[in-house]
Amino acid sequence: MAQPLVKKDDDRDDEADYSPFLGIEKGAVLQEARVFNDPQLDARRCSQVITKLLYLLNQGESFTKVEATEVFFAVTKLFQSRDLGLRRMVYLMIKELSPCADEVIIVTSSLMKDMNSKTDMYRANAIRVLCRITDGTLLTQIERYLKQAIVDKNPVVASAALVSGIHILQTNPEIVKRWSNEVQEAVQSRAALVQFHALALLHQIRQNDRLAVSKLVTSLTRGSVRSPLAQCLLIRYTSQVIREAGNNTQAGDRPFFDFLESCLRHKSEMVIFEAAKAITELNGVTSRELTPAITVLQLFLSSSKPVLRFAAVRTLNKVAMTHPMAVTNCNIDMESLISDQNRSIATLAITTLLKTGNESSVERLMKQITNFMSDIADEFKIVVVEAIRSLCLKFPLKYRSLMNFLSSILREEGGFEYKKAIVDSIVILIRDIPDAKESGLLHLCEFIEDCEFTYLSTQILHFLGVEGPKTSDPSKYIRYIYNRVHLENATVRASAVSTLAGFGAAVDALKPRIFVLLRRCLFDSDDEVRDRATLYLNTLGGDGLGTENDRKDFLFGSLDVPLVNLETSLKNYEPSEEAFDINSVPKEVKSQPLAEKKAPGKKPTGLGAPPSGPPSTADSYERLLLSIPEFANFGKLFKSSAPVELTEAETEYAVNVVKHIFDRHIVFQYNCTNTIPEQLLEDVNVIVDASEAEEFSELFSKPLRSLPYDSPGQTFVAFEKPEGLPTTGKFSNTLKFIVKEVDPTTGEAEDDGVEDEYQLEDLEVVSADYIVKVGVSNFRNAWESMGPDCERVDEYGLGARESLAEAVNTVINLLGLQPCEGTEAVPPNSRSHTCLLSGVFIGNVKVLVRLSFGLDGPKDVAMKLSVRSDDETVSDAIHEIVASG
Amino acid sequence: MILAVLFANAEGNILIERFHGVPAEERLHWRSFLVKLGADNLKGVKNEELLVACHKSVYIVYTVLGDVSIYVVGKDEYDELALSEVIFVITSAVKDICGKPPTERVFLDKYGRICLCLDEIVWKGYLENTENDRIKRLLRLKPPTEF
Repeated sequence: MAQPLVKKDDDRDDEADYSPFLGIEKGAVLQEARVFNDPQLDARRCSQVITKLLYLLNQGESFTKVEATEVFFAVTKLFQSRDLGLRRMVYLMIKELSPCADEVIIVTSSLMKDMNSKTDMYRANAIRVLCRITDGTLLTQIERYLKQAIVDKNPVVASAALVSGIHILQTNPEIVKRWSNEVQEAVQSRAALVQFHALALLHQIRQNDRLAVSKLVTSLTRGSVRSPLAQCLLIRYTSQVIREAGNNTQAGDRPFFDFLESCLRHKSEMVIFEAAKAITELNGVTSRELTPAITVLQLFLSSSKPVLRFAAVRTLNKVAMTHPMAVTNCNIDMESLISDQNRSIATLAITTLLKTGNESSVERLMKQITNFMSDIADEFKIVVVEAIRSLCLKFPLKYRSLMNFLSSILREEGGFEYKKAIVDSIVILIRDIPDAKESGLLHLCEFIEDCEFTYLSTQILHFLGVEGPKTSDPSKYIRYIYNRVHLENATVRASAVSTLAGFGAAVDALKPRIFVLLRRCLFDSDDEVRDRATLYLNTLGGDGLGTENDRKDFLFGSLDVPLVNLETSLKNYEPSEEAFDINSVPKEVKSQPLAEKKAPGKKPTGLGAPPSGPPSTADSYERLLLSIPEFANFGKLFKSSAPVELTEAETEYAVNVVKHIFDRHIVFQYNCTNTIPEQLLEDVNVIVDASEAEEFSELFSKPLRSLPYDSPGQTFVAFEKPEGLPTTGKFSNTLKFIVKEVDPTTGEAEDDGVEDEYQLEDLEVVSADYIVKVGVSNFRNAWESMGPDCERVDEYGLGARESLAEAVNTVINLLGLQPCEGTEAVPPNSRSHTCLLSGVFIGNVKVLVRLSFGLDGPKDVAMKLSVRSDDETVSDAIHEIVASG
Repeated sequence: MILAVLFANAEGNILIERFHGVPAEERLHWRSFLVKLGADNLKGVKNEELLVACHKSVYIVYTVLGDVSIYVVGKDEYDELALSEVIFVITSAVKDICGKPPTERVFLDKYGRICLCLDEIVWKGYLENTENDRIKRLLRLKPPTEF
């Protein structure tokens, strides 16, 4: 790569082609600037010196305050010269120097004089300079001139004043707003650019007044707008008006749509594109409205201008996310763009095709992409890999060809980020598509045979250790893992040892052979590898340390504490006689402010974060509850909900609650954080009022002894409920505690405390809490194999709904089941939709649901609900949830 | 807003840069990013052939003219099409001043005039003048002909 920041003059000494700025030096140029003070000004020489100063500034050279002031004063002397070229340079130089407020006064009078000069161009330039350097107070003095300038018959003067207005509006809006009439007049100007600038300014002045913007748009869409640039602005303002007019999405009634459509026939490509883009971005746009816009974009796809091709494919790419069917007509043109020289265009084309393609075109598409992948940069490849991952999740039956594609690109050259993206994708596919598991794991095994990235190798080895033993033939992975012990660096070797031990612990048949391999690792040259081998051999093979399960748990169980907390505790631990106690590590993750939690979005994560996924959270909850003797006889934990916030963000005490559902019990785990450094809370308890949850009876509560600042803790309340039924209710909560003042200097709490209460939000237990989301990869097979014995079918009227999609979403959330095969997405403007759901009901009963929605009249939604499960009471219960929801 | 206009030579050294509304601490990042973009893609590109890229909501249109590569960065209303208009105005003006696609030497010889014409084309992040003839006249402080 070229070095961007080396000064230009360092690198060429070619006599014949030397730079005019060769050897330029700030001090010398500042000396030269003294010519500005000469009584007999040499305009040519002065221009040259200004050019040198400009060059220095452009090279990132900075002037000290004193230097800048000196140059500025000297430059102001040049106003005496009558040379036009020099005057133009002076204007530029003053703008570049941006003098400070107390210096501005020096040039103000000269500039004011120029502002009223008979030479038009002096006026234009003086306006621009003054607006750049002036502040509010001076502005009121020159306001009169600026207003005149806006309607000046010289377009350059008018434009200068208008563009200045756009800038001044940011700092002194009240002044510019007074110019409305003049700006309005300028909008009617015959000069194209004046109209463009005036329109931009007028819109900014009125942007908060919806009615005024609407009027402006109405008048201009009828009249003639002269420049394509202004026309583009008008299109943008029009779509803003349409957006704000909002609710009326009925086709035909949309205001201004005809105007947008007429712009599709404009002679300027810029206007056509802007109109097409505006149409595609309309809320609830119909296919009839979309068609003409898509047609012009399709034409642009084969334009000779790369910018047009890029703009078109970028817009179509966006349309493909919401209206994939509308874009399919462009697929042939898009396919030819795969070989476009501009790689940005090619990548956009590919990702659009991946979105619009149907199940039958997947193979053909993959073939084309294979050729394309070899000649694009990694950053583009990552985009493609992500698109393929989404495609595979959309068409799980096509996993074979998509997985093969991923594995083949995994074998090719590529950087870390790219390889990581592929590996992450394969891991996600393995997790979400059970059929893809075995082949996916083998692909990963082949990859680590020749993987240059230690991080990826260790991550894959860990993943293999977790998933491999659960496959039908775990032994076939051993060879790949043991090869690592011979061929890799110490970090990977240590990982491989752990993975081997994992297989040994999980698969009894393999244990003796794994031990043989582990024994060989005892002679490794690296301490860590030998230590791990010794540990595993002695623990798994020995008799100490309790039952076999205890031993496995000790070796492979998670630490039971969040890693962040463990890290903090370890950092705080000072080496002493007393050993570090892992039980002293707080178990609850600090409750984050809501905004932060929402930020990461729904992007699936691959290897980077598998242990933090839902299953392991459930595991850690289960372990946490088991460690409390009172809950030991509750049986197996069925489900733990996501934390529900009971306080606003940034309050004194942050509390969220996790609902743990057991067969006959429910436990509320209140995670509390004290955010006040000067307080220590003791005997923290939540008083739960269950008067609106009659079928629940409180068994006991487990208070939290102490809650110091910023160290989260939990308190629990347990209820008994009818066995196996989805009992619902509403609970109101009050946090009760003793508060003690803490001396901030010593950190010690006072002995005496005061009892206090803190009202929390109400908590509801809903039917969805009794259903666990479990997906199936092939819904039809699962449905057929379940059989119609316990099927229950009924029809429901859902009443008037905002849209079909909203109705589908509401029912999915009500039931808390897992949508299958992407059926939760409702194509826009469709009149009917089928949604497939699956899950497990309390009592471990599998449930499959088929929802058929239809629009009955303009907004009324009707729904047919078919439920299949292994237990007819469960099928009835699902109907009950819908009937009472 | 036109966020940046940047000229660099064949080695990737900055000749002229104009930033608008870009904090000083981000400029270094932009410089290196643009120059790398050029180094990766501009090889073998014909004069004035436009290349385009976008990153999140920011668009970049760039090209090569003689020994000089030109980059224009914009956001919001200055999308790739508006920027191609801007870069077209800039390349025509530079060609006009230099008489042909410039060598680096010629570009530097005409440095002052190029700075002036850039001042006429982009003013604090907004496109101000688009016609070459008018810009030429404005550099000499002459009113436009249509007036």
